Amino acid sequence: MVIQAAPGPPVALGGPAVIAARGVAKGYGAAPVLRDVTVDVAPGVTGLLGANGSGKTTFIGLLLGLHRVDGGELRVFGLDPARNGAAVRARIGYAPEHHRLPPDIQALDLVRHLAEVHGLPPREAMSRASDALWQCGLGEERLRPVGTMSTGQRQRVKLAAAIAHDPRLLLLDEPTDGLDPAQRDAMLALIRRIGREFGIDVVLSSHLLDEVERTCDNVMILAGGRIIAAGPLAELRRGASGVVVELERGADAVQARLLQAGWVVQRDGARLTVAADPAHEAAAFDAVRDAVAGGGGAIRRLHPRRASLEEVFLGATA
Amino acid sequence: MTAPGPGGDSGGARILDQGYRGYDGERRGVGGAVRAVHRAAVQRALGLKRSARYKVVPLLVAVLSFLPAIVFVGAVALLPTSFRDELPFGYSDYYGYITAAIVLFVSFVTPEVLCTDRRTGMLGLYLSGPLDRLRYLLAKAAAVATVLAVVTLGPTLLLLIGFTLADTGPAGALDAARTLARIVASAAVVNIWYTTLSLAVSSLTDRRAFASAGIILTVLVSSAVVNALVENGLSAQLRLLDLFGLPFDLVRRIYGERGSGSITELSTASMALAATALVALFIAVLAWRYRRLEVTK
Repeated sequence: MVIQAAPGPPVALGGPAVIAARGVAKGYGAAPVLRDVTVDVAPGVTGLLGANGSGKTTFIGLLLGLHRVDGGELRVFGLDPARNGAAVRARIGYAPEHHRLPPDIQALDLVRHLAEVHGLPPREAMSRASDALWQCGLGEERLRPVGTMSTGQRQRVKLAAAIAHDPRLLLLDEPTDGLDPAQRDAMLALIRRIGREFGIDVVLSSHLLDEVERTCDNVMILAGGRIIAAGPLAELRRGASGVVVELERGADAVQARLLQAGWVVQRDGARLTVAADPAHEAAAFDAVRDAVAGGGGAIRRLHPRRASLEEVFLGATA
Repeated sequence: MTAPGPGGDSGGARILDQGYRGYDGERRGVGGAVRAVHRAAVQRALGLKRSARYKVVPLLVAVLSFLPAIVFVGAVALLPTSFRDELPFGYSDYYGYITAAIVLFVSFVTPEVLCTDRRTGMLGLYLSGPLDRLRYLLAKAAAVATVLAVVTLGPTLLLLIGFTLADTGPAGALDAARTLARIVASAAVVNIWYTTLSLAVSSLTDRRAFASAGIILTVLVSSAVVNALVENGLSAQLRLLDLFGLPFDLVRRIYGERGSGSITELSTASMALAATALVALFIAVLAWRYRRLEVTK
């Protein structure tokens, strides 16, 4: 499987790239953190996936114009964030990774204040802060001091603060960190809703594959300071299409018939995976049907092969 | 269950999911951000919108710094005219009565305004908005200076107004303007000095208590050491390094007084130069600390 991170034409999903990076490099002292990062981030919800220490937070810092790139070019909304920092940041909502927030301030006051800092007039800031907290499920809790809130609630406060000023782009650094599974599901659903219904483009950094897989339209995978795969999730998965058949009996005969017919077959116990590119998937299904019928097999399960992001990730990092 | 229609028991009430509203209105940019940070920092320092215990220090300091002015104005108003000239109530002397209040206040206010943001992660949230580090620091410095003006400018202005009403104020418009200019200039000197000094010290630690202690120790220890050295025969020029006394000595020069003791040996120009250089040093320390501060973690 070959996955190409751009260079090449920008990934276009209904609009121009929100973020465009060309050969971006960044290091601290002698240690390079990002090397030759070249990627276009299309509108929608994008997962920035990478192990801890792979450079995700540094990349977000560059997008915010908090650091300058050492080399290459970076554009957010078509602007250089290091030079037009104020204009770029005014339209970005950012929720940092840490959960530290001023403990003695009410959630509503905090969100309102940050909306004002992003340029909203006081009256608007107040009403939008209240709305944002309701949208994030903290309407009833909005007058509580942040210090009395659980980690899950603080994550929501950070999210509310990030959307209150109606940003064009939302940068979420590990937004499910510290959440239990139920809270994580709720948070991911909320992020999907923000991306789909609110019309805000989202970049979500995470080290959890399934999280990105469940939430995002696009993915970029960072490893060792490089983008090793980038593009729409559906496209990245396409590299591993075909048919998977799990058999009650007759696996040997079915496999033999498929091989005979010229298909590439992988076997894992009673499960056969027939590789086929998407154009030939229907033919692969027919071939499996014929092989099972001819070989006297009995099917337990039959489904199209869809590579998980983990396969993409492992394939790209291999 | 059927939803009640218009005219039903609920009077036509419906639950509306408003969904998400976009915002196309005014955005105030960097200026709005600076004003928002300034306002929030002033409120926080004064304990506004916070529980009663955060109001204790600002109230105490306000009482300490205004009390002498109120007593002086009262005394001048009540005492017979013949006694007035012998009273030690000059504008230039006033800071002598409230130095403790000023140092106490600045050691309370500045760490609250600056250190808290680093400890609570607010700094990262601020800098991910339109603010950059320079403008953030300007907003914070302006907040410290605003709050500090309550004690550095408020009492002397009260003195001027009180004396004027009691007919012992400046004689004529020109004298009044000169006195007012001196009052404002003095307050500016003390304000700029203690704002930059306390910001520099506060930038060195995330902990408010350490910063408070650091500010008090910096001014008191430098003053004690300088005074001991000068009294033991070393050059009076060392007094230029008295981080506690230098601004107040400068205030005397603004009123055309030379002061007393070894400070009289120093020229006003050298004092102004030393103060400017030290303020530049404080700003440099602050800038150095904030330039490379990691804020996204």
